[in-house]
Amino acid sequence: MFSLLYRMVRDRALAEDLAQETFIKVLNGIKSYRPEFKFSSWIFKIANNAAIDHLRRKSIDTLSLDGAPNAETPEQMRATSLQLGDRAESPLDEVENRELGTAIERAIARLRPEYRSCILLRHVEGYSYEEIADTLELPLGTVKTYIHRARNELRGYLEDRRD
Amino acid sequence: MTDTSMHLTTDEIELWAQGLLPAAQAMHLADCSLCRTEAERERKVILELVQLPKFAPSAGFADRVMAQVRVATPSGDWTTT
Repeated sequence: MFSLLYRMVRDRALAEDLAQETFIKVLNGIKSYRPEFKFSSWIFKIANNAAIDHLRRKSIDTLSLDGAPNAETPEQMRATSLQLGDRAESPLDEVENRELGTAIERAIARLRPEYRSCILLRHVEGYSYEEIADTLELPLGTVKTYIHRARNELRGYLEDRRD
Repeated sequence: MTDTSMHLTTDEIELWAQGLLPAAQAMHLADCSLCRTEAERERKVILELVQLPKFAPSAGFADRVMAQVRVATPSGDWTTT
C-alpha cells in the first residue's frame, strides 16, 4: 500500500502521511468493514482515495511555471514565476530521485492519476481486473480501458526515450 | 496475407505476455508479424512494471500510526494507545 501511495504522490514524507491517515481510518473504522470485500482491497481503496484527493487539491493549488494567471507584463510574469532552481536538494530528495528516477517510474508519473492507480494495482500489486473494479468502484470496462491506455502511453514514453 | 479477423485482442496479448495464452491462440503469433510486434512491445512494458521494487515506509512508522489509534478500554470507553 505504501508503494502505491509513494508512486502516486512521488514524495516519501507525504506518502507516509497518507499511509498513516489510511491506517488510522482503517483501524478506527474497522466496524464499517464489509467482509464480502477483500480486506486488502478495502485498505487500497481508502489509500487510493487519499492519494487522489491530495492530487486534486494539489492541482488546484499548483502555480503556473510562467507566473500568476493575472500577470500581464513580462516583468509581472518573471516576478511571480516558479523558480525551479531555488531549492537546494535535501537528502530526502536524493532518496526520492534514486528510487523514482528510472525511466519507467518517470513514465508512470506522467500518467493521469486514475490510469496510474489502475496500472499499479494490475501489474505491481497483481490484482485482477475484477478486483481493481471492486477496489476503485469503477465499471470493469472502464478499468480495462484505463489499463490499456496506460500501457499504451507508457510504451510511447519509453520508446521515445529509446529513440 | 494475414487474416485480420484472427488478430489477437489486447486481452489475449496481455495473457500471452504473461505466458497464459492457450497454445492454439499463441500459434497465430508465429504467422502474424503485426501481432508479434505488438505483443513484444506489450511484453516489454509489462516486464518493466512487474519488476518494479516495493517500497517500505521509514522506521517507526507503525509506532507513529498506533499512537493515534483509539482502542476500546474494558469499560467501553475509547482511548489512544
